[in-house]
Amino acid sequence: MKNRVRYTFILPALLLMTIIVAFPIIYNLYMSLHIWFVASGSGPHWNGLKNYIALLSDKRFWNSIRVTIVFTVGALGSEVLIGVLLALFFNRQFKGKDIIKTIFLFPIAATPVAVSLIWGMMYNYDLGIINVLLKAIGLPPLLWLADPRWVIPALVITDAWQWTPLILLIVLSNLESLPTDPFESAKVDGANSLQVILYITLPMVKPAIIVAAMIRSIDAIKTFDLIYVMTQGGPNIASENLNLYIFNMGFSYFRMGMASALAIVLFTIVMAVNVFLAVIRNRDVT
Amino acid sequence: MRKAVFLLVLLAAVLTSPLFAGGKQESAGTKKAVSAGFDWKAFEGTKIKIMVNKHPWVDIIKPKIAEFEALTGMKVELSIYPEDQFRTKRTVEMVSGTSDVDVFMLMPGNALAQYVQSGWLAPLNGLMKSKQYLWPDYDLNDIYPAALNAGVRGGKNYTVPLLLETSLLAYNKDIFARTGVTVPKTMAELESAAKKIYESSNGNTYGITLRGKKASATSQWVDFLHSFGGEWLDSNGKAAVDSPEAIAATEFYGKLLRLYGPKSAPSNSWYESISIFMQGKAAMVYDASVFKPNYENPEKSAVSGKVGYAIIPKGPAGSIPHVSNWGLTIYSGSKHKEAGWLFIQWATSKAIALQGQLAGIPSARASAWSSPEFKSKDTSPEWTNASIASYKVASPLWNPPVIPVGECRDAMGSAIVASILGQDVKAASREAAKTIDKILANSK
Repeated sequence: MKNRVRYTFILPALLLMTIIVAFPIIYNLYMSLHIWFVASGSGPHWNGLKNYIALLSDKRFWNSIRVTIVFTVGALGSEVLIGVLLALFFNRQFKGKDIIKTIFLFPIAATPVAVSLIWGMMYNYDLGIINVLLKAIGLPPLLWLADPRWVIPALVITDAWQWTPLILLIVLSNLESLPTDPFESAKVDGANSLQVILYITLPMVKPAIIVAAMIRSIDAIKTFDLIYVMTQGGPNIASENLNLYIFNMGFSYFRMGMASALAIVLFTIVMAVNVFLAVIRNRDVT
Repeated sequence: MRKAVFLLVLLAAVLTSPLFAGGKQESAGTKKAVSAGFDWKAFEGTKIKIMVNKHPWVDIIKPKIAEFEALTGMKVELSIYPEDQFRTKRTVEMVSGTSDVDVFMLMPGNALAQYVQSGWLAPLNGLMKSKQYLWPDYDLNDIYPAALNAGVRGGKNYTVPLLLETSLLAYNKDIFARTGVTVPKTMAELESAAKKIYESSNGNTYGITLRGKKASATSQWVDFLHSFGGEWLDSNGKAAVDSPEAIAATEFYGKLLRLYGPKSAPSNSWYESISIFMQGKAAMVYDASVFKPNYENPEKSAVSGKVGYAIIPKGPAGSIPHVSNWGLTIYSGSKHKEAGWLFIQWATSKAIALQGQLAGIPSARASAWSSPEFKSKDTSPEWTNASIASYKVASPLWNPPVIPVGECRDAMGSAIVASILGQDVKAASREAAKTIDKILANSK
């Protein structure tokens, strides 16, 4: 009896969660099975799985999947690599460490839209500082955001600039809390510092790295503000990721059924990546 | 002279205010006396919401809102958005059905079909005939019929034009004189002029700058399309952007930018494009005629006072620019339609139209173009003559006359970008035509 009573206390929270989390997902799933061309003023009508079937032959959809993957792998890869290296570097005592650490954390605090606007200006072909610097060291200027080949690297650089510090922060705090005895015994056994890092430090902080990667991967897969402000998916659709395509489908073309179907695809990808990372993490912990 | 107009408006405001007629206290009797002319104060205390996009016209109207508020005793809440966000925000507000906006800007050539079919606009015919709410000095007949009729669907008026714009070729006279280039009259001359300027400056001065950013590029590309003899759709309503004429136009447009234009063209919308011209980095720009005030503003433009204007050069089918207009409309769900109508009349009145005209915004009112004040102050008669010449031969069609305009423009924009990047224009145009046909088939 007592047991049941205690459930009633969480019931309001549970209900609220159901309403704000489960309902939109289920409704979205339901809408994805409809044609709803809002601009025509007519209501939704049933379309079965045809929205999903149409996506399979939609080149723009596959382009957006490709952009999403390339951007996520590029951003996540560079952020984890640089973030972990920086964390290892900062994991010692030296003068001015706190000040440098604080400066490194500034980008996280900046608003993504402001960051994107500033980087967008820096990438400007004629007036941007980056091309000025490239020319100063004798390299040819790049088109950056106007060149289909360079636009994703340019976006990755901006994303990495902003979010590498987050990885640094998570990994570093984990490093600083590690027990000292494994390191002492390694020293006694004559391990060099590379061996210590490879066989002791990294395995021990691996769970933290995976958590950091999880957080960043979710964000990177559904990046919107950065790309919308800097390129709006351009040139043409060279930087249109899945989330931007959803926005265009829904709010530029007003095809809500199709946009819902795309949103379900995005949701599935985010869930799949997270389940995958969670499995890796749990396998290691146990 | 500007001061005089301001004083006139102020005088009108004072004359019609109850204060002048003996104070607010005696409202009942006084009001009648005033409304013997026209009752601007009919909705005193009402708050109306106006949604507009960031447009040179708004820069004219914004500082004058206080005058309207003094004249009518209403409160005006003006929200301004950049154009892309404005279009999205406007439609989302309409779709949600909960919008509290009263009056908003709309480009009939772009969105009227969709807005009328969805029932989002209130017909204005009743208000236009109303003895009570039509300001006697408004003079509907003064508005160019082409501009007013652009806002008509099914015999009903939905928009009142606040300007009538076209696109013009603007050129930097200094660069032309320096390189010995004359104003191009044909497309071939346009290309050779751009080439000569680009090559004689070793690529430091672009021959021409045009929009290249996907959908935004179509609104000037369309003039090349028509001048080359192409169309958006054929007589059966099928996409015609892969016709030989259309492919030639798209090829030409892309070639100008690829060979003699700014490298950043595929990411340039009007703002970036005219900025390059205004910095003196490009000798020519083909864009909307309303950008004259930007070109001629010495604070923002390095080329002010050196700009010449001409109609689009002749293609195989002639010189065929387009006219378009922004209008003001009333939301069908508005609770203050009559108050909104007062605002529209004020904002599109002769006095405001003249103000705009003097500031370089092409008015939709004949009186503004023919007013002695404008004629005497006209600093660039070249622009005036080019505009009037353009109106005479212009096509009113600059978008396919369908509901999913944005989607079709995006599809065609892809082919334009492909052309700028030097890819296979034929294949890209075919792809665009296929996509447009698919979009239209899915829009019933």
